[in-house]
Amino acid sequence: MAETYPINIWINEERFKALQEAGLGNLLKEELAGMKVLIVPCNEQQRDKILQLFPMAKYDAATTKSIELLPKAVKDKIYDLVVARKSLNVMDEFIASVEKG
Amino acid sequence: MEYTGHGGKPLVERVITDKAEAKKKIQGLKQVPANRQMATEAIGIAYGFFSPIEGFMKKADVEATCKKMELADGTVWSIPIVFDISDKEIADYGIKAGDSVCLTYEGNPLAIFDIEEIYSFDKETIAQDVYGTKEDKHPGVKRTYAYKDKFLGGKITLVNEPKVREPFTPYFLTPRQHREKFKEKNWIKIVAHQTRNVPHSGHEWLMKHAYIAAHGDSPVEQMETMGKAISGILVNCIVGEKRVGDYIDEAIVLTQDELRKSGYFRDDIHMVTMTFWDMRYAGPREAVHHSIIRTNLGLTHHMFGRDHAGVGTYYHSYQAHHLLMSIPKEKLNITPIYVLEWAYCPHCGEVTCIGLCGHWNELQKFSGTKIRSIIMDEVKPTRLIFRPEVFDVVMDAAKKYGFGSPFVTQDYLAKAKPAFTIEPL
Repeated sequence: MAETYPINIWINEERFKALQEAGLGNLLKEELAGMKVLIVPCNEQQRDKILQLFPMAKYDAATTKSIELLPKAVKDKIYDLVVARKSLNVMDEFIASVEKG
Repeated sequence: MEYTGHGGKPLVERVITDKAEAKKKIQGLKQVPANRQMATEAIGIAYGFFSPIEGFMKKADVEATCKKMELADGTVWSIPIVFDISDKEIADYGIKAGDSVCLTYEGNPLAIFDIEEIYSFDKETIAQDVYGTKEDKHPGVKRTYAYKDKFLGGKITLVNEPKVREPFTPYFLTPRQHREKFKEKNWIKIVAHQTRNVPHSGHEWLMKHAYIAAHGDSPVEQMETMGKAISGILVNCIVGEKRVGDYIDEAIVLTQDELRKSGYFRDDIHMVTMTFWDMRYAGPREAVHHSIIRTNLGLTHHMFGRDHAGVGTYYHSYQAHHLLMSIPKEKLNITPIYVLEWAYCPHCGEVTCIGLCGHWNELQKFSGTKIRSIIMDEVKPTRLIFRPEVFDVVMDAAKKYGFGSPFVTQDYLAKAKPAFTIEPL
């Protein structure tokens, strides 16, 4: 299976309810004593593009093996796309929208 | 009262507190500007944080530090404390061995520097011996390579004490003040928690683990009643140069204190202070350095967890423990407490020591990166992993001091006020 380089979007109570109501509760995983997280996968090309578009972000190869330090506003946009498309496979669309400006 | 510091030697205090006397002493001295690191370390030397050294190191001390992890007199020492300068500056200021100069910081007098020696030292040797690598990707090595080509060695006397700004003011204590505070609290055993982090409950449990271990042979009656404790935890935050992505110092100090204010630690067993020091990320050698500083603060025990002061993959997780274990007890007058990680176990429904819990496949390890990610997303973590009061203080510190972020940003680096200033004398 190809390796993925996920973006973790942590979910608060309000969003948790909204996701459940939209029938997307199954997209969530539980970590760290019940914290809910939406794990949005990226392939290698998408990871590199994200790191290029958002230079403050880092790929944490040592511990979490995920893309970290993305600003909340960026993650909010990815979250909105996941909800709109009812799918986790949104990164190409997200990257295209950022590139388009 | 004279206190004993590291190496069984008297605690160094080289501070002129009388302003008139200080002005008189610096009259006619050449003025040599110190950068932030040198000013910070001059202050540390003068107050005795680095006892027994009384000044910036001379060549023999640097050599012994690199090769034998000792000062030239045999006292355990792990990281060179040096004052770098270029040939041009030496010529411009007309400095020669035997001179006394007035070090200035941001234009104001800071300290008298009695220059005993001007020398050069191979920076790659420092890198290899202290950091175990010559790669300039290592932040300590990068700092070493950035030193100018010559070093000045000699004694330092502080003539102008730093003014520490809010919210740090109550947390900055000199080694003498630490000891006076411990006396006031009747603490006999004091365990250090070294930190540059906002605490999650994994950190909290490390502190509790270390406290219980240090207190283990003391009568429980001393602990039973509020105000009677004879053991304490000192959270000593390292405040110094920051990198983008680090927690801001204000958030670190205030959240650590919040653990006590919110009752996660009793008032009479927990205290937060700070030490000015630029982390070298020297892993095991830095652990030894931290032991030396905390010995000078008057502590009896020091907790060491996983990856103490490490960076990247330069050191293995418990390398600091092994180096500390190799030092004869009589050479380091502080008892290390080695602790394993604590993690959340969904089976137990609690935070537990990974060395005790049998649900290996279920453990959810704390990851600083993950916690940062949760905070960046402004999601309040569950109280089992992060205390709600601590979260509120983090977010408040972000607004008050971090220009909206609890993490160091380029904006913070450009705009944040320094933790201390040197006022005109």
